[in-house]
Amino acid sequence: MNKLPVQRRDVIKAILLATTAPWVMQSKGAFASSCDNIVRLGATYSPDSMNPFATWSSFWPTVFTYDYLVAVDAQRHSDRKGFAKEWSVADDNLTWTFKIWPGMKWSDGKSATARDAAFTYNYLRDSIGKPDELNAGWNSVDDGLKNVKSIIALDDETLQIVTKEPTRWPLDNTILIVPEHIWEDISYADARSTFRNDPPLVGTGPMIVSEFQQGQFVRLTPNPYFRNGQPETAGLILHHFDTADPIAQGLKSGALAFGLGLTAAQWADLSKDPNIQVGESRIEQRNWLAFNCASGQGEGSTKALQDPAFRDAIGYAIDQKTIVERAFRRHADPGVGLVYPAASDYYSDLSDIRRHFDLAEAGRRLDAAGYRDTNGDGVREDKEGKRFQLELIAGTRGGNLQIPIAAVQLIAGWLGQIGIPVSVTQLEPGALSARAAAPAKGGGGWDLLVSNDWGSPAPASLLRLGNRALIGGQNQSYWINDNFNQILSEVQVTIDLKKSQELVDQAARLIYTEAPYIMLCYPFLLQAHRKDCFEGWGTEDFIWSYFPVDRLRSK
Amino acid sequence: MATCGQGGRTSRRIGGIVLRAIVTLLMVAILNFILFRVIPGDPAGLLLDGSRSAVTSEQIEAQRERWGLDRPLIPDQVLDYLSATAKGDLGYSFKFRGQRVSDLLLDRLPATIALVGVAQIIAISAGVMLGIYAGWRRGGAVDTIATGGSLALYATPSFWLGMVLVVVFSTKLGWLPGYGAYSPGADTGSLAWLADYLRHLVLPASTVALGIMGQYVLVARAAMSDVVAEDYMVTARAKGLTSGQMLLRHAFRNAMLPVVTLVTLNLGYVVAGAITVETVFAWPGIGSLTVGALNARDYPVLQGVFLLLGTSIVFANLIADLAYGLLDPRVTQ
Repeated sequence: MNKLPVQRRDVIKAILLATTAPWVMQSKGAFASSCDNIVRLGATYSPDSMNPFATWSSFWPTVFTYDYLVAVDAQRHSDRKGFAKEWSVADDNLTWTFKIWPGMKWSDGKSATARDAAFTYNYLRDSIGKPDELNAGWNSVDDGLKNVKSIIALDDETLQIVTKEPTRWPLDNTILIVPEHIWEDISYADARSTFRNDPPLVGTGPMIVSEFQQGQFVRLTPNPYFRNGQPETAGLILHHFDTADPIAQGLKSGALAFGLGLTAAQWADLSKDPNIQVGESRIEQRNWLAFNCASGQGEGSTKALQDPAFRDAIGYAIDQKTIVERAFRRHADPGVGLVYPAASDYYSDLSDIRRHFDLAEAGRRLDAAGYRDTNGDGVREDKEGKRFQLELIAGTRGGNLQIPIAAVQLIAGWLGQIGIPVSVTQLEPGALSARAAAPAKGGGGWDLLVSNDWGSPAPASLLRLGNRALIGGQNQSYWINDNFNQILSEVQVTIDLKKSQELVDQAARLIYTEAPYIMLCYPFLLQAHRKDCFEGWGTEDFIWSYFPVDRLRSK
Repeated sequence: MATCGQGGRTSRRIGGIVLRAIVTLLMVAILNFILFRVIPGDPAGLLLDGSRSAVTSEQIEAQRERWGLDRPLIPDQVLDYLSATAKGDLGYSFKFRGQRVSDLLLDRLPATIALVGVAQIIAISAGVMLGIYAGWRRGGAVDTIATGGSLALYATPSFWLGMVLVVVFSTKLGWLPGYGAYSPGADTGSLAWLADYLRHLVLPASTVALGIMGQYVLVARAAMSDVVAEDYMVTARAKGLTSGQMLLRHAFRNAMLPVVTLVTLNLGYVVAGAITVETVFAWPGIGSLTVGALNARDYPVLQGVFLLLGTSIVFANLIADLAYGLLDPRVTQ
């Protein structure tokens, strides 16, 4: 009777030994990073397609493969130039001339010339107004392109862009230059939807996407024809994750060399590991509280939201310093105005008009604006006599760094203390998009929105939160102001940097005073890399287009 | 005559089960269609979401026309949907532009079947054996440990269990990979790739298996506990059968009825993946596809996932109904 269990135990033991032995024997060395000069980078993003005309979320892989014409990197860092080697503008401030790198080649060995750049821009431009206008991805029609009169290749090395009005768009635009010989036969309908652009891609960047496994990784290999010579690294593998936990564990085990988008807790934990170097970078993300300023369709529960005096008073009840310290564990700059510190050419701390945290002051201003607690029940009433009960919706846009719920709770707590109760609804990105859409598209109906956007250091991007043409898109407060739009129009036709800075400052002050948004903070991108395989690239700065991992020196 | 009558009853019963499954599938498909049409938001608007410049109404209308959204919902769109679904055409993904939903599902299905299938096999074989033995030796040490352990595992969130396994076996010991299905650059299909794939499979499959093993242990134990108290077991013992003979010839088969039901029902969830486990281990299966589709409001993919899940559950129920008839002849009488 007892024989059977004993035999079973023996069998189980044998099975266990047989199955575990190989893993144990292979042990740690087989799995840990082998320092093979290939950068294994983990990040929380979700690439979907390698077609830059159809994807927003595959920014990192595609930006390693394709070049901008100039963009902000080349303006900030002389060794980070894009498709163009040099550029100049004529005295009329309308005619731009770009000299393309002589003898440059695509990664398939074919010549990369000014004709490819002209093709890319004209491909987009010619789609304007068509039913299948190219507006579905990173390479998208924008207002700057609509201001272009002509884009022609004068010869293989010279590109000429003539604009209708003066603009810095030819320098600042972030359109990725694609090879004409790949894209010339792709219809607009296919380019914005069904064309997948399967690897290996053909680009002029330092690293070319050679393999894309959905839900797992993108593998990039050095471009053999890269204009500045071979990258320092033998390749790059971008692993993508839904959460940052596997990234932190991968860094510890050595499976990953670089990790991006870590949480504060993971960052603090990794900082204790002697094999890991942690870092943080200023980025172009801003986290804000938006008021629903819509009137009529999509408006909020009270007309007070449309009153600048009400919004200004609320601004005194938000303590950005505490949000940074408690919700972000100091991994952020406190919020001030529209312009983030990462846009160093345009940043101002607005010290002369800045609000300070003072709940009593907020209360006094609400009283003065006519929002009093007349019946003494602790809750204020609006001018129609209705008790305040605001709905705050919160959520993070896809691809952006998460906003800790603690920040939202702090805001709700402060508003409650000044007699404005708030109920919080946390939304996933899809639901957030639906509710924050333009009222004409079924959005609106909320009162307060805590969310974020990630832009660029260019003026149009900095000011887009107030752009009336982008209501329900990037303008999330539905705020409309003619003066602001006038300034925006002027900025878009201004080339001179100083003049541009003055106009951005004017716009930033106007929107700060009107307060459709209260800036909460500008979060840092938390990152870490292992010290055993690579030296850093010499700076902790976030490079706007891509991380310069191609310049990493291996040990 | 009697045999003929019984055969007719059996055929009628099987026909009824199959017909019920077909009707249920049709209802699932129609509900699936309705569900994604009552959600707020215009799909054409979603396709144009994120545009850098203002989108014109003509462009929205062009997208509506391109994807057939301008036609009447009933009957045109619903009939188109049912007809296309019957042909295996589930439309195009919003998020993964250029890819058919059916291709995406087929692409992710093998990883999920490997993960959940292997986990189910481990959980069923280990769980049922343990449960049968615990029920056979009620009150013993194995019973106490198995019951307690099963309850604990059943109550443990799988994402937490997964994280613990990653920290121990991947981060600390470095024995096994903690994420992904295989290493980049591998020659897909080769033996080296297969070995690499299996190494990646160990931790997520163990997590899923440990999470579901408890219910097999508990059900098998309860069934066996009932069986050992039956009169025919006393008779078997009186006839001089050994414990092994009693267990294998009499107790085991009778105790299998509820276990088979549980197994077949759980098999229906194999294709649904294990969303949290796939997220923790970045496993490229149906679960992680669902999470990505939810975040991007990729309705066509979600619709496809729901349809796949509904179909597999209906199919599993069908198998359970048919298998029950074979295991327990009383059902067909």
